[in-house]
Amino acid sequence: MKITVETHARTTLLTALGRLDFGAAAEFQKQLEQALAGAGTAPALLVVDCAALDYVSSAGLRAFLLAARSAQRAGIGFALCALRPAVREVFDLSGFSRIIAVHTDRATALAHAPQPDA
Amino acid sequence: MNERRTCVPGNAAQLPVLTQFLKEFWAAAGLPPALAPSFELSLEEIFMNVVMHGSRPGTAPRIELSLLLADGGISMTLEDDGPEFDPLSLPQPDVEASLGDRRIGGLGVFLVRQMMDVVSYHRVEARNQLRMSKRIEAPEGRTDSPSATDGRLA
Repeated sequence: MKITVETHARTTLLTALGRLDFGAAAEFQKQLEQALAGAGTAPALLVVDCAALDYVSSAGLRAFLLAARSAQRAGIGFALCALRPAVREVFDLSGFSRIIAVHTDRATALAHAPQPDA
Repeated sequence: MNERRTCVPGNAAQLPVLTQFLKEFWAAAGLPPALAPSFELSLEEIFMNVVMHGSRPGTAPRIELSLLLADGGISMTLEDDGPEFDPLSLPQPDVEASLGDRRIGGLGVFLVRQMMDVVSYHRVEARNQLRMSKRIEAPEGRTDSPSATDGRLA
């Protein structure tokens, strides 16, 4: 899988592309943790754009769960957006779409970004 | 091409090999793409369960994957020669738990049960056999049942 990370002000956008299976989960988890830690300054919101994510298994769900918990502990917003139907089904069946914020598209997810500090 | 099987060592590095085997079977049989993700996921979850929990120390089991088209459905079986282990005996996860209380154990098998129509475990001749199957729904507005069609097909 391919992962890109962009930072705009205090919002970090992580784009996940491809398959999040057992083989990809460890690297994905590492990238999420790094994004949460930020380069010196933690973001206020981390959004994972899943528009190009084809597949997720329980190994991938575990990475999302651990990241959501880290974010909660650090007081950072954590949200996913643009889930494809097959990925959405896994989130719904597992109950993860009830414990992790899932938005329909990137614009909606970013609209939940906190206002920049005055 | 109604049945295909392959055998690999029980090693995580073999997962892409089995996934590719499944995809090729799918394409060759012209199966509905919408049903593929649930089989891919079930294959990964059951295979990884055997890799992680189904080995004697220092050994890797042999794992056989077989795919069968029959009776309007797709059947997928994973068999291994590891110690007796029934993944269906794992406790079900609490999918209502809060973020802080969620446990990941058992979630893979839970998803398999949700996605498949039938899941069964048997211990057969010193092998674990996990069989999963799902019916193929006829496309909208069509039926394969002759009794429901008007007259005979040309």
